[in-house]
Amino acid sequence: MAALTSGSARTMLSFTQGAAWAAIGLVLFLLYLPLVPPALFSVGLAEPGAGAATLHAYITMWANPILVSAMQTTGEIAAIVGVATPALALLAALAVRELRVPRLVMLLVLLPLFVPGVSMGLASAFFFRMLGIAPSLPTVALVQILWALPFATLVILTVMSTFDQVYLEAAYMTGANRLRAFVDIELPLIRRGIIGAALFSLILSFNETIRTSLVQGPLNTVQTYVWSTYKQIGLSETIYALMTLLILLTLALIACILIFSRPTRLS
Amino acid sequence: MSHAIQQAQTRQRRFDAMRSSLGVATRYSLLVLPIAFLIFFLVFPLLLTFAISFWRRTGFTIKPAFTLHSYIDFFSGVRLFVFERSLLVAAEATVISLLIAYPIAYFLAFRASASRVRLVLSLFTVPFLINYIIRTFAWTYLLDRAGPANGFLQWLGLVRHPLSWLLYSDFSVFVGLVSAYMPFMVFPLWLSLSGLDRRLIEASWMLGARPARTFIGVILPLSLPGVFAATIFGFVGCFGESAVPTILGGVGYQLIGNTITSTMDVLDYPLAAAMSSVVVLAMLVFLTAWFLAFDLRSFLGKILEWQH
Repeated sequence: MAALTSGSARTMLSFTQGAAWAAIGLVLFLLYLPLVPPALFSVGLAEPGAGAATLHAYITMWANPILVSAMQTTGEIAAIVGVATPALALLAALAVRELRVPRLVMLLVLLPLFVPGVSMGLASAFFFRMLGIAPSLPTVALVQILWALPFATLVILTVMSTFDQVYLEAAYMTGANRLRAFVDIELPLIRRGIIGAALFSLILSFNETIRTSLVQGPLNTVQTYVWSTYKQIGLSETIYALMTLLILLTLALIACILIFSRPTRLS
Repeated sequence: MSHAIQQAQTRQRRFDAMRSSLGVATRYSLLVLPIAFLIFFLVFPLLLTFAISFWRRTGFTIKPAFTLHSYIDFFSGVRLFVFERSLLVAAEATVISLLIAYPIAYFLAFRASASRVRLVLSLFTVPFLINYIIRTFAWTYLLDRAGPANGFLQWLGLVRHPLSWLLYSDFSVFVGLVSAYMPFMVFPLWLSLSGLDRRLIEASWMLGARPARTFIGVILPLSLPGVFAATIFGFVGCFGESAVPTILGGVGYQLIGNTITSTMDVLDYPLAAAMSSVVVLAMLVFLTAWFLAFDLRSFLGKILEWQH
């Protein structure tokens, strides 16, 4: 009898487990579903009764000079953001640890996460105008660095928290100064955090539209090109092809994060 | 001879002291750099926006002044309706997101193995990282009268004719907002739930509490820091959202976010600044309340704790 009850209880439990996994699966399905239509539209497959798939849009886009220069701008901005953000985030993470007011520093670092895109873009636009700085590569990059900083800092802090500070003590005792101990001992051990932060920053840069669109001036990134074309003309196969490329690029970078973020052991 | 050695030693000490104070100065200036960066490029511009909201608009230019004109303009007539609708839509979207994200975070924190938790959390990261504007565009196809959602409902036999309220409606705006902000809300919820001391749950069980009572009396209150963080992120994001109502709301669907951008387009900067400041002030009120009510460590604990 007892065995029977526990058996049926186990069935109940595995049933609720299964139902929960099914529900999570459904939510994930609905979240991933929107990634499919752009790819279908870009090869002309989404309309009912469409003919064979064509890569026409992927070929003709290179003949559009505005688009090619937008791609170049996107790459240049991403390069700045991908280098500057992890460096700044590393300092921010150290500031959270070393300064006497970790909560305040943390709150300030997390602030960009909570400021809506429109408000952040608008504030930056006013700020640059007041300083008399025309919209340019650095101004766009700056806004994106602000946006990526909380994420990059959280990534580095997470990896730092796995680092045992006893190793630093050991370095001090053998005569190393702070800088040397940090560079020789801690930095190699949190390297994957810094790489992760850089990849995260690249992803956020490639996927930023609203903040960028308010400070872009005459510059265009691929994202703002998609957004302004949508608002002025509407969507086309070329636009869907660009979306597909951005999705694929992001997925590739995420794969890189998964590869690089495997824990390294001190041996 | 000994005098010379003493002199040399003093010199050496002075040199060491100078070098170490120089080191300390460099160290602090490096640590303060990100803080200065954020204050100069984020806090100051937000304050500037707040100041501009009181300026006067004269034709195509703006002049420093102190007038409440923009706020009066904002809180009267049609724009008051936009404000109220934005509040309501953001609140509803946040509640819907919490109702989806909390059970998922709960299940991951208490009922799933570590390897599966990592897998599911990374699966939630991917859609968050992919530009939500691209994902929002896709919904216009998926929810269209002739789109897959309606096709599926008809195939199931649930509806005979395609539903027209799936797209360009409050419903589609909710779909857009929830799918844009919900994935990220899982993280603070999971952080606070997984950091919870299990012994408290066992104690509650041993004292004879039913699971529902344990949840309401122990688990829910202790996960509030995460709930609050997720709520602020979701609510402020939805409240200031500009792309989703533009794409999924249909013609003339106005929330504060896209009203700000359209106000910018007609060059009424003080009004845009006023509306933006209202959103930012709402965020600051929530954030301050959160900061005062909870210790950040209660949900960022794993990250913020060091063995000193």
